This record gives sequence, C-alpha cells and structure tokens, in this order.
Amino acid sequence: MIKFFNISSIFVWIEKLINFINSIFFILLLIAISIALIFSPADYLQGDSVRIMYVHVPAAWIALGSFSSLALLSFLNFIFKIKNLSLISKSIAPIGLMFTFLAIVTGSLWGRPTWGTFWVWDARITSMVILAFFYFLFILSHKLILDEEKANRISSLVAIIGFINVPIIKYSVDWWNTLHQPASIKITGSSTIHSSMMLPLLLMFFVLILYCALIFLMKYKTEIIRIKKKNLKRL
Amino acid sequence: MIKDLIYMNGYGIFVWLSFFITFVVCGVVYLKTYKTLKKYEKEFASEIQELSNERKKIILKKSRVASQALSSYKETI
Repeated sequence: MIKFFNISSIFVWIEKLINFINSIFFILLLIAISIALIFSPADYLQGDSVRIMYVHVPAAWIALGSFSSLALLSFLNFIFKIKNLSLISKSIAPIGLMFTFLAIVTGSLWGRPTWGTFWVWDARITSMVILAFFYFLFILSHKLILDEEKANRISSLVAIIGFINVPIIKYSVDWWNTLHQPASIKITGSSTIHSSMMLPLLLMFFVLILYCALIFLMKYKTEIIRIKKKNLKRL
Repeated sequence: MIKDLIYMNGYGIFVWLSFFITFVVCGVVYLKTYKTLKKYEKEFASEIQELSNERKKIILKKSRVASQALSSYKETI
C-alpha cells in the first residue's frame, strides 16, 4: 500500500493514464456538446439560455470540489507532513482557480438574459469571488515564498481558512435573499431537474472532470520532474 | 435548423459565448501545461544525457522517474 503512494510508482502510471484520457476525451466531448447544444430541450421559462447551465454548473461544482480537496489535503499535510500531498495540492489549485473564473464568467453571461444584469454583488456571486481570492492566495504563496517548507505551511493555512467559505457558497442561496436560484440538484432529497437536462449536465460534468484529470496529471508529472531534477546531483 | 441553432431565440450570443470562453480557456491551459511539461522533460533528459556514462547508468538504475522521463523524452523527438 505504501509502495502505491510512492512517487516513483505513481509516475509510471501517470503516462498510461494521460494516454488513456487523451484517447477517449475528444469523442466524449463531441457527444456532450452535441447533446447540450442541440438535442437537449429548451427550458419552459428561461428558453435556450438554460444551455449555459451545461458549462456553468459543472465549472462551479469543480471549483468547489477542488477547493474542498485542497483543504483536506492541506489539513492532512499539516498533520502528517507528506511531501506528496503538497505536490498534489499545488497541481490542483490552478485547475480550481480556472474553473472558479469560468463559473463566474459563464454565470455572468447567464445573468444578463435571466436577471437583466451581468453582475450584482449578491451572496452567491460575492462568495465565489472570495473563493477565487483564496485560490489566488494559495498559488501566490507557492510562487512568492522561496522556502518550500514555509510556503507549504502558509498555503495549507490559506486552504484551511478558505474552506470556511465553501459551505457559505453552498448555502448562500438559502441563507440570504439572492438573485441566484436555489440548487436544483440535491444529493439528499429529490432534484427538481428533468432527466432530459440532467443527462447532458452529468455528461458535461464527466467530460470536464476528465479534462481536470488530464491537466492534473500533467501538472503533477511536471512537479515530480522538477523535484527529481533538483535532486539529480544528490543521487 | 442551423439558423435556429445559431440564434437560439435571441439567446445565442450568451450561450455560444459561454461555451466559446470555456473551451478557449481550457484549450489555452491545456497547451500551456503540456508545453511546461515537455520543457521540464527536455531539461531533465538533457541533464541526464550530460552525465558521464557511469553516473548515468547508476541514476537510471536507481531512479524510475529518471529512466521513465528519459524514455518518454526520446519518444517525442
């Protein structure tokens, strides 16, 4: 089991996984986009603007999921001081920031036809901007602090503190009066979304998760090579 | 049919722009990440190549990452 978590063992699998994802990614992407833009029905109230949901919602889920895993990894790293965990966190953070940005931009584009405005400082949107700020701080702490040990400690702290914002984002639509609609998809309880819209949404989510895995694996591989390159003289 | 798909009852500009921005950003990030990985692989492989044969042998035997990175670099050139 310990051997499985060894960087060298993981490294061998990374190339295989990248090749596998590359081989299926574009076919799945084409299917998902076709269903989202052509075959899925328009909403009875929002019309065709509802199709923005197929990029907005998965982007928001990934942004939140990435930060939650970042916080968990940082917490574990804080206690056990495993170098591999900080490498994984460093590789996840830029992906999370990118999807937070995409969730905000596509949300804003959805807001114009639905609410009549691109931007309002309501609870959901503001808390998403705060999430982007925490991602930014996390990445910045690794870029600006040269002492790796210190950078890991500070970035872990940023992720743990920033995690307070995650439930605020999730429940902001219930706690405050906002323009943003409440969640249509619930893990517990029944969802209020029709299966004809749920299928393309889940498919787009799966495709974007594959994309995240691809970027993560490439970033993680880069991080491993960077460390091995540094240690080359010591071998 | 195609006209309907483009205009989407007036919402086309918002829908297409959302998808366009998403996939352009994803594409740019993919290319940037790929380029950085290849750059590091190249630098790492050339550092190994510059070593004496004896040291190279030891390193390739000791480090699976080094041997894997070197072979993956050789495949790309």
